[in-house]
Amino acid sequence: PGLHNVQSQATATEILCLMNMVTEEELLDDEEYEDITEDVKEECGKFGPVKSIEIPRPRAGQDASGVGKVYVEFVNLEGCNAAMNALSGRKFANRVVLTSFYDPDLYHRRVFN
Amino acid sequence: TKEERRALRKKKWSTDTVSITGISTNMPSDLTPEQQKIYIKQLEIEEITKRLKSNDLGIPADPTQRSPSPEPVYSSDGKRLNTREIRTKRKLEDTRHQLITQMKELNPHYMPPSDYRAPNVRVQE
Repeated sequence: PGLHNVQSQATATEILCLMNMVTEEELLDDEEYEDITEDVKEECGKFGPVKSIEIPRPRAGQDASGVGKVYVEFVNLEGCNAAMNALSGRKFANRVVLTSFYDPDLYHRRVFN
Repeated sequence: TKEERRALRKKKWSTDTVSITGISTNMPSDLTPEQQKIYIKQLEIEEITKRLKSNDLGIPADPTQRSPSPEPVYSSDGKRLNTREIRTKRKLEDTRHQLITQMKELNPHYMPPSDYRAPNVRVQE
């Protein structure tokens, strides 16, 4: 509710950023990482066709601002919008999921922040 | 197999949606990483506060989705001290305390929720 929605909507893209999703610990575990990717793909696919997913993992000496976030590229804006409306405020592993649209240019250059 | 393992896993996505008055879960897209951190922490603190106030502990109705219980601990008058409710509530309070501590570091002007009390050092179980 309120101004925040208006702001996000103004910059709608086909890239959904899900925040507060994963911990560093989970990302370091290969099996866990694979499961999380599946969970996200499966759930997001309910709202529209998914083109790609990026889940930044912590790496020594690299900017960690994308860690904890999950980026989902939808085929179209409708899917992305529907997923945002449905997933915003849901919980993933007991953490409240926050959402925002993400800049496709940054996404394709694999810049995550 | 992978399929069997996945079937046994805890469900990670919740079906219900959290809504916190005054904080949208649609985050404004123009925040710096530092502001994002503060925004998420604020939301988490308010969410736990809301759950503590309404005693919404989120204990799964399905026992297979719950963690194993520790050995029971009783007080001298026979009351159980470590029921799942008590343990869950304590865990929420601890988590909130940690979040508030981190929040104060990020923002020295931060005012914790009015029902928050910094914990006393607890007697070991």
